[in-house]
Amino acid sequence: MERTWSFRFTPFRFILGIIVVVAVVAAVMRFVFGLGAVTNLSDEWPWGLWIGFDLLCGIALAGGGFSTALIVHVLHREKYLPIARAALLTSLIGYIIALVSLFLDIGRWFNFWRPFFYWGYHSVLFEVFWCISLYTMVQVLEFGEIFFEKIRCAPLQKILHFFMPFLLILGIVLPSLHQSSLGSLYIVTIDRLNPLWWSMLLPFFFVWSAFFLGPAMVTFEGTLAARSYGRAPELPVFQSLTKVTLWMMIIYLLVKIGDLIYRNELGRAFNGSFESNMFLIEMVVFVIAPIVMYATPSIRTNLRGVVTASFLVVAGVVFNRMNVVFTGMADAAGGHYFPSMWEWIITAGMWSALILAYCFVVENFPILPKEDLEHHEGGKAHIEAGKSIHA
Amino acid sequence: MSKGVLVDVTRCIGCKSCAVSCKTWNDLPSKTSTFTNNWDSPGKVTADAWTIITSFVIEQGDQIKWRFVKRQCMHCNEPACESACFTHSFVKTKEGAVIYKPTELKQDYCVGCRYCMIACPFGIPSFQWDKAFPYVQKCRFCYDRMKEQGLQPACVTSCPTQTLLFGDRDKLLKEAWDRINRDQRYVKHVYGEKEYGGTSWLYISDVPFDKIGFRTEAYGKPVSQKSIPSYTWDVLKWTPYIFFGWGAILTAMRAYTKRRAQVHDESELYEPEKKG
Amino acid sequence: MTNSFTDYKNSDVFLMIGANPAENHPQVMRFAGIAAAKRGAKIIVVDPRFTKTAAKADIYAPIRPGTDIAFLYGIMNYAIENNLYFHDYVVNYTNASFLVSPEYGFSDGLFTGLTEKDGNFSYDTKTWQYQTDGANIKKDPTLQDPQCVFQILKRHVSRYDIKTVCNITGTPEDVYRKVCELYCSTGKPDKAGNLLYAMGITQHTYGGQNVRATAMLQLLLGNIGIAGGGVNAQRGESNVQGSTDQAMLYHYIPGYNPCPDVNTPTLKDYIEKQVPKTSYWSNRNKFIISMLKAWFGDKATAENDFCYGWLPKHTGKDHSHMAIFQAMAEGKIKGFFAWGQNPAVGGPLASRTRDALAKLDWMVGVDLFETETVSFWKRPGVNPADIKTEVFLLPTAMSYEKEGTVANSSRWIQWRWKAVEPPGEAKSDLWIADRIFKAIRKEYQAGGKFTDPILNMVWDYDVPGHDEPDIMKVGREMNGYLVADGSLLDSFAKLKEDGSTACGVWIYAGYMFVDPALKVPACQRRSREDKTGLGLFPKWSFAWPANRRIVYNRCSADPAGKPWDPAKTLVAWDGTQWITNDVPDFGFKDANTGAFIPPNISASNCFIMNTEGVGRLFAPTGMKDGPLPEHYEPIESPVKNLISKQQNNPVAARYKGDFAKVAHTASPEFPYIATTHRLVEHYQSGAVTRNCPTLAEFMPEMFATISPGLAKKLGVKPGDLIVVSTVRGEITCKANVLPIVKPLKVNGSEIEIVGLPWHWGYQGLAPGSTANDLTPFVGDPNTMIPEYKAFLCNVKKASGH
Repeated sequence: MERTWSFRFTPFRFILGIIVVVAVVAAVMRFVFGLGAVTNLSDEWPWGLWIGFDLLCGIALAGGGFSTALIVHVLHREKYLPIARAALLTSLIGYIIALVSLFLDIGRWFNFWRPFFYWGYHSVLFEVFWCISLYTMVQVLEFGEIFFEKIRCAPLQKILHFFMPFLLILGIVLPSLHQSSLGSLYIVTIDRLNPLWWSMLLPFFFVWSAFFLGPAMVTFEGTLAARSYGRAPELPVFQSLTKVTLWMMIIYLLVKIGDLIYRNELGRAFNGSFESNMFLIEMVVFVIAPIVMYATPSIRTNLRGVVTASFLVVAGVVFNRMNVVFTGMADAAGGHYFPSMWEWIITAGMWSALILAYCFVVENFPILPKEDLEHHEGGKAHIEAGKSIHA
Repeated sequence: MSKGVLVDVTRCIGCKSCAVSCKTWNDLPSKTSTFTNNWDSPGKVTADAWTIITSFVIEQGDQIKWRFVKRQCMHCNEPACESACFTHSFVKTKEGAVIYKPTELKQDYCVGCRYCMIACPFGIPSFQWDKAFPYVQKCRFCYDRMKEQGLQPACVTSCPTQTLLFGDRDKLLKEAWDRINRDQRYVKHVYGEKEYGGTSWLYISDVPFDKIGFRTEAYGKPVSQKSIPSYTWDVLKWTPYIFFGWGAILTAMRAYTKRRAQVHDESELYEPEKKG
Repeated sequence: MTNSFTDYKNSDVFLMIGANPAENHPQVMRFAGIAAAKRGAKIIVVDPRFTKTAAKADIYAPIRPGTDIAFLYGIMNYAIENNLYFHDYVVNYTNASFLVSPEYGFSDGLFTGLTEKDGNFSYDTKTWQYQTDGANIKKDPTLQDPQCVFQILKRHVSRYDIKTVCNITGTPEDVYRKVCELYCSTGKPDKAGNLLYAMGITQHTYGGQNVRATAMLQLLLGNIGIAGGGVNAQRGESNVQGSTDQAMLYHYIPGYNPCPDVNTPTLKDYIEKQVPKTSYWSNRNKFIISMLKAWFGDKATAENDFCYGWLPKHTGKDHSHMAIFQAMAEGKIKGFFAWGQNPAVGGPLASRTRDALAKLDWMVGVDLFETETVSFWKRPGVNPADIKTEVFLLPTAMSYEKEGTVANSSRWIQWRWKAVEPPGEAKSDLWIADRIFKAIRKEYQAGGKFTDPILNMVWDYDVPGHDEPDIMKVGREMNGYLVADGSLLDSFAKLKEDGSTACGVWIYAGYMFVDPALKVPACQRRSREDKTGLGLFPKWSFAWPANRRIVYNRCSADPAGKPWDPAKTLVAWDGTQWITNDVPDFGFKDANTGAFIPPNISASNCFIMNTEGVGRLFAPTGMKDGPLPEHYEPIESPVKNLISKQQNNPVAARYKGDFAKVAHTASPEFPYIATTHRLVEHYQSGAVTRNCPTLAEFMPEMFATISPGLAKKLGVKPGDLIVVSTVRGEITCKANVLPIVKPLKVNGSEIEIVGLPWHWGYQGLAPGSTANDLTPFVGDPNTMIPEYKAFLCNVKKASGH
């Protein structure tokens, strides 16, 4: 492997780059003038786009990292190996974005290090903070192996390789905890978050959805990556991943319904209010529809079908998080919130940076499976072998 | 002894002396505000208005009732803000005050994440949005007056109509029920006795609390009598078990499946994308 | 105020009419609250708006602005018809039994004696006098003689039956009946009714008669002179009591003594005309001579009339606020001191007031902030280059930045200590007055016309080495002292007419006298001692006169000196001596012998300031517009007077030119009644409070309150901009839509009320349009107070909104 770096600026990437630069300027403004100057946040809406979308959704979408890690490295379903590194990369970048948005969002950013030393361990956020921080570190180390592979630093690679099993386990336990904790965060909103979403099972719903989101996200982004790089999508991998997603989503749906029945709130889903409609959309379009699609062989076996269903799952999790953060809270919070231009710019900048970073890493590090492997008998044999073992 | 204040809504005349003296004692700046139809600008507590008088004109047939309700931090027995803060920047003192350590004790750990604002069931903690390095602000129960000078809170001392009564919370609770039982006009409810595990500030009123800005019901059910921290603790207490349990399960699974798995040389599986 | 705020806790029923103490006198609600909690006192609030005070009322009676006399007469009529008045009190302590001249008459809204001269009306009071038998006034203690005051009153108020009253006032009949029942329940010996009023009563073209009506009702029910009773005027400003005590009214000199006029050029003339034979005013000569001694010191001698000749003599012309501004507008006034006042916002027809200021050569503003008045030359819509007036602004210290006394409505002269130094170049008012006087004297030393009063004025308040004059020296001069040794007087009873005493303000005598026990001047006392438990607090500051907490307190006991209500004993005759819980307001002890004077003597002289010695249900003197109140419509009214053909007060003060503009009765262009009011967050013209960031935040913008029904009709939502107009102009402000104002049914038709706070102007942190740009330039003939409280307006949604 060569140690040179390459990154080509296409017009699309150039536009993304400009967005990033503008966002950086906006971020500087935010640090100089404060949150009130650049955001539309208020006492009624202390959390907005950056926390609601960038952080919650960013981390949920990065869920592909830990679910893939679980499948590949713990369950050793090695046929999924081709997507493992891409999932890890997306996850890592997702977490970095989450941390950056958190850093942007905290009012007293110069105190960001304080929580490491002053422990408010009764706080859900304490768990979230520690897990996200540690997990990001774990991911960096995991990625370190790839990095050192690239820059051919064998000793370090070796050390990391030695610790890799431990890191891998930690890399699943930590996100499991904080994905659920992100849900637990909203347990405090009892009596304010609409009961369609508020539940003591919020942590379960969050971690579960982050988990089943993983394969869908991998499918979706894998297809995107494949298309943009003109590669053949890993259709067989995607197809078999649907089984994981399908069963998990069925369980998710059943628990959701069971929870509503248990709490005697099922009727609320059909009372015709804005919230109930949003909830029904969430359930029908983004949960039931993908389940049906995944369960239908003709759709599942077709790339278009799989990708569409996966997209719905991904969008569904975003929709769910938005419902928790905004729709379900609106009535109790009062006031109005719509992100300011600057909030949008910074968000757009972060996601643009994500794409650029992804492209850069993919083009410079061994992330995507070797192309020839796909069409190479031996390579296929690798995967087939893996499949055969578990078949 | 944990202190509290009993607010008798029937006695308030909406003179706002409490709100003014709060600003004066605490040196709070003021902002330009706009007209509110109920004459209660700024209408809600803010980082610079820790206590305000809200106003409610209630029409009951031909009769009108106009009630004025002082709002400020309720100083929960088990504060949501304290439990929500991951740097423990809020603390419930033994005197009953819920204080913010960065400004009160000069322990500047707050990162400004505003989870306290999400957590508070009364929507009290407010953020200095206009500052580059903002603090979270709210009523401090005049902790300095109480602690250092043995004084009652500024608002209490400036109330002309004895709407505010300062004292030990348990005695206030008794006084509250005495007044309710003596005078049939009162609603048979002491707001803050049980809500969210109880609060240091207690309210009694002659009009139903839900008509004067208090949440007594949420989504068709009475508001929680359990404290917010107790809910989160019900979840959080499982963390160590999940951490170690889930870690152990994963390790075991990994060990089990690994025996059967092939070993790949990952470096042979992947390559940088060349077509980018 | 006859009583005090702390005494309110003794009341059984409050009748708050034309007052909104919850906003303007919050401390009232403290003691009313105590009365309600401890005695089960009931509160009646009579107001056109459902105020914050009404929110605390047991009965809220809406009333059409300007119909208070009808409202109060209705209660009196109810009391008389149902025999609920306090008979023994009325017979003994009022002039009910006095016979009035047979020539006295009243028909169709007019009293006898109305004369016209050059289109101006005035009353000749000759026919209103008592029948006399030599020096004695004829009486009929049975109250049966048709010419006795009681029968005259009975006939007069009989026209005000409940139906008629409610037709006029718009008060629902059932509510009004409840008010009558509840308030007349205080006509018993052991019940105290407290009538408190404020600007809602006074600011009318018959404001004086409104006040008379409140006093008459209280007399009928025996509520004056007793603990928990009284006619209690909540003064409009914190020290307005003090300023009127000091003669800030143009027809008085300090201590409510009439201003010397051209008809009394000599002291002898003044004493002959202004010092009555009876009543405590028979000592007025002592007050005046002591005042002259205080002013002119050694120069004032018996030989030179104590320099009485140096006092300016009033010509009898109107020099009230409105007259001054009309004269100013006519260019007759060259210079003007706006000293702690802001007429550009606070005066009636403020827009014309501002125009008038431009006619001045110079103006000096003495204020805390750059008020609308001192910045009139650069106000919106004006080119400063067009204004020739030279304007000075002298920054002054706020009350907390200087020391001195403030007299509150309870007549308590309370010392206030300085809390902080004034900022920048701000100086106390005393410093400013001192320097101005000294500068004027310096000018006069160079010669000029009539220099004597200025050159010989006692002006000795300097403390060597201090910049600030010694306010204690000013206090000593006001308090009074023995000329011989300078020792302070403890009471105005010590004042002499021989020049041996000096006293600046007789009613203040004793306020600086050092309390023997507490060792501080009386006004600095802060003892919470209250032995009676009645809230008299005799050792908390000093209440003029003579530290008396409840005036006319002789009336709290029957003629034999037995208290009507022993639980609330102020004074009592125990058979041999007087028990004096309060300082007696009657001759109870012989000044020379120290022997007690038995009760029968004081029983017939219980209102010691009145020449007839009793309370006046009928006022032969003192009022320019009738011996009895009579309902007239405000100058601007949506309806014809229902009680008589006489639409308005015939002798109301009116002005000329631009200032004469009023809408005609039932004007279709101006269909709604406007009334101005205050808000708790702001004070008067807002000159100070709109510059207080906190208060500006709490009440930021000018608004007009309209009923939800009117808002709906006009298509206006809360917060929309609306235009409120009168025949005199228009203002734009926010719409406040609340059911605290509701249309009133007046003689069958519904009339909308519009509430306008008058705190805003173009200066300060929270500027806004000025309600007084709309108010009429007409006033009460006795007090010249403008009719701020009732006028006609129209409301429209502002175009473009």
